[in-house]
Amino acid sequence: MALCSALAVSSAAPQQQPGYKSFPSVAPGAEGQKRTPEFFVMIDPSHGGSDKGASLGGKLMEKDITLRLARELRRELEERGIASRLLRESDIDLSLDRRAEITNEQRAGIYVALHAARPGRGVRVYAPLLVSAQQTPAGRFLPWDSAQSGALSRSQAVARAVTEQLRKRGLTVASLAMPVRPLNNVTAPAIAVEIAPDQDDPQSQETQRRQNSVTSAIALGIAEIRSQMGSRP
Amino acid sequence: MIPRHFQITVALVLLAILISGVVIIRITHKEEAMTLQASEAGPVAPVVGGKQEHIQLLLAYDEDQALRWRPADVFLPADRNLRARETLRSVLAQYLQMPSPHPLAKGADIRDVYFISNDTMIVDTTAPFADGHPSGILLEELTLASLIETLTANLPGIARVKFLVDGRERETLAGHADLMSFYQTAAVHEMAKEFE
Repeated sequence: MALCSALAVSSAAPQQQPGYKSFPSVAPGAEGQKRTPEFFVMIDPSHGGSDKGASLGGKLMEKDITLRLARELRRELEERGIASRLLRESDIDLSLDRRAEITNEQRAGIYVALHAARPGRGVRVYAPLLVSAQQTPAGRFLPWDSAQSGALSRSQAVARAVTEQLRKRGLTVASLAMPVRPLNNVTAPAIAVEIAPDQDDPQSQETQRRQNSVTSAIALGIAEIRSQMGSRP
Repeated sequence: MIPRHFQITVALVLLAILISGVVIIRITHKEEAMTLQASEAGPVAPVVGGKQEHIQLLLAYDEDQALRWRPADVFLPADRNLRARETLRSVLAQYLQMPSPHPLAKGADIRDVYFISNDTMIVDTTAPFADGHPSGILLEELTLASLIETLTANLPGIARVKFLVDGRERETLAGHADLMSFYQTAAVHEMAKEFE
């Protein structure tokens, strides 16, 4: 198994060990924003660039919908006084590992990956599921495949809060635990939200309205969990 | 002088011949393409012998977003590796038929299956299995859960499974589901229960 591990918790990198890797401290993907102790939500508009994601009919691609949703979620969070950053602001390639690296390096309070795909009509909220065998942390390094292990219960709490808010809006919601990349590589509480667009007309006003309702519910769920658990959930 | 109605008739006949020719050429090309595609999507591994056995397959149903157990009669050899491969191929065969409960791309197949320890298995899939897989968290996870659960139900003692694509590691199945990890079958069992 090509096991690689990431610098996940240490600010001062200890001596690198065989089979482990460390990463540069500056995150180009998040446009070089410096690490701050302030709580913020890292929003990941999944896919981008040559990775188009799911095809949703016609020329509509998942990567475009996720970016639109991410901007909307940022606005919703700002309205509630919660800082946020987008992992990509434009149509660029960004590997899954790099997304997790940037999130870990910048010490995000919560990580939210946005997706859009069929089948179904509702919304699916995913908490991480650690499927690989648990490995022992080596000093300050965490195994890359299970870097999420320390935040798993908080991720599940975030997923529950968001699911509850979505249900309150009358949306069809499924709450699941799945090994979705890169949730298991993120050290902060992490969830993924997948919206299933209207199969007949993914760009209809009804779909747009539902998407806005989803981002609003995610923001409310995050605000709620933050108030419950303090400034760093 | 040739009568006008005769000229029109001849012109129409010639036009009909021309259209028929074009249609015939198009049909011939289409059939050739389909034959070529079928040969490319053919089996990548030889058909194995063995006796027919009644096994259970856990199949994904996209419409209901569910996994359901279905019986199947499959020829399974005695060799453990070949049994595993044929069991997985019988799942893919269900997805490749028309209509399919969980459509996969033509050519989706299992190249090889081998154990690297008594309880750890590597499943090597063909490139079309991943390249043509519909993208989406749920669709991808249903595929993996269906394969792993069917495998462990019919070949007890498998604790960990890892997927390769065309002999190589791949980050995800189609952009979402993790293919880098060794899947613990116990964890997958818990995940699959949510869909049954």
